[in-house]
Amino acid sequence: MMSNTTMKTEWVVGMSVAAALLAAGATWARPPFTPEELAEQKAALIESVARGYDLWHGARADMTTNGLACGNCHPDTAAANPQTFPKYMTMYGKVIPFREMVNWCIENPQAGARLDVNSDDMVAMEAYAYYLHRGKEITPGLAAYQTTPIVVEYGTGFARKPTGLGVDTKP
Amino acid sequence: MSDIVDRSRRNFLSFAGKAGLTTLVAQAVGINLGVVDIVRAQTGKRGVEPFRFAIISDAHLYSMPDHKFDAQLADAVAQVNAMTPLPDFVLFGGDVAQNGTEDQLVKGKKILDDLKMPLKIIPGEHDWYLDMGEAWRGLFGEETWSFNHKGVHFIGLNSILVKDFWTEPGLTNLERMTIMEMLESPIPGPWGVHEKQLEWLAKDVKDLAPDTPVVIFTHSPLWDYYPRWNFQTSDAPEIREILSKFQNVMSYHGHVHQTLYNRIGNMSSVAALGTAWPWPYPPVELAFPETRMNRADPSISTDGMGTQVIDLSESFEGLVQYKPFEDSLTPFMRDGFKV
Repeated sequence: MMSNTTMKTEWVVGMSVAAALLAAGATWARPPFTPEELAEQKAALIESVARGYDLWHGARADMTTNGLACGNCHPDTAAANPQTFPKYMTMYGKVIPFREMVNWCIENPQAGARLDVNSDDMVAMEAYAYYLHRGKEITPGLAAYQTTPIVVEYGTGFARKPTGLGVDTKP
Repeated sequence: MSDIVDRSRRNFLSFAGKAGLTTLVAQAVGINLGVVDIVRAQTGKRGVEPFRFAIISDAHLYSMPDHKFDAQLADAVAQVNAMTPLPDFVLFGGDVAQNGTEDQLVKGKKILDDLKMPLKIIPGEHDWYLDMGEAWRGLFGEETWSFNHKGVHFIGLNSILVKDFWTEPGLTNLERMTIMEMLESPIPGPWGVHEKQLEWLAKDVKDLAPDTPVVIFTHSPLWDYYPRWNFQTSDAPEIREILSKFQNVMSYHGHVHQTLYNRIGNMSSVAALGTAWPWPYPPVELAFPETRMNRADPSISTDGMGTQVIDLSESFEGLVQYKPFEDSLTPFMRDGFKV
């Protein structure tokens, strides 16, 4: 439960942001979300990111037959380059979206079974990869270079209940 | 020298100039970019009898029979066995196994036994945390060692020791291992060689003259490259202090699965390619970005992997040549570089 003071502060901050946007000429498609609604939406996103993190590190047995997980080659989603998709990939000979690249890695290096491209799990894979590239420039088609994800100081790279086992309990 | 290297060199020099002359001097010596190496010219009074050694690293073998990584390690062994001239010996840079099980370590030893020359090996975290090195020690012996070869003092240390995070919460051995397997694991924190090995090291080099050529071999790099992925050794400053009396120290390491060079003070640092998979370069600036390899092509299953061979000269200059399985090297790296 948030205290009244916290709620009040967040509401004031929210209204200030709204006022600033209006002053800058932005318009709302609908009245702005309340802080509670925004918190719910963020929580839903992070839940998907967290599922993506687990999948990235081997949570689904059918994604591999040789023991490899996405995280073997892509720690912190590095070199996954989600912001460069859609792009031409030589193994397909055509332009593909990021989720197809995810399935290519599952089927080839991991020798596993591809995910349904419309499934919640595939959305979660995307959510995790994109979350760790937030703020990065969108550059579709940049095929030849490795770009870098955001710098993660400790923990998982997103807010999650600490395990209490080690450095993920840092403030 | 290629245009690309010239350009990056200029960029680096202009950057280093801004950072101050000290940085420039500390970082610029030791690589064959046309800078005269004054320190090196004075070393080698006692003279090395020239020889070569090879490095194989990071095999990450799984338990499944006929796993592709078994073949990749066997390819590395065949590649080293076919080198002319043959290396005098091979160093293995850690992570024979992926999950630290005895069957994986046994499988790795069996493949490495095909080497025509002697093998010296240090452990990686994947070899260690299921049984705290028991199976590894049974197969490969001591994890801390030194020996002299043709005028060079070689040192091997176990750099993957972490603080005990498992006893208090009562984790099983398998849980401990699984936590250690993740490169970006949020739990164990940075690893190092710890106090006992530092004492051993100080004793080991106590009576060596400052002009002794020294090679130090660890799983992780002896500089702060990217601590989050343990591309570091927490007590590297203490190691450097102990080795500070030597005119020239070469550090070789595994763990990062990529081509990489750095030089700080009297120590040059060279990374080994793995045989299992390449790791991306982390989001940090490199002092010598020209020593990066090409971005691995995922459609070529052995791109970005391979072995390396180092030729040491009479004056203790090293020619480092990466031997990738595929065409992974930039023009700058193709003919090797001097350290």
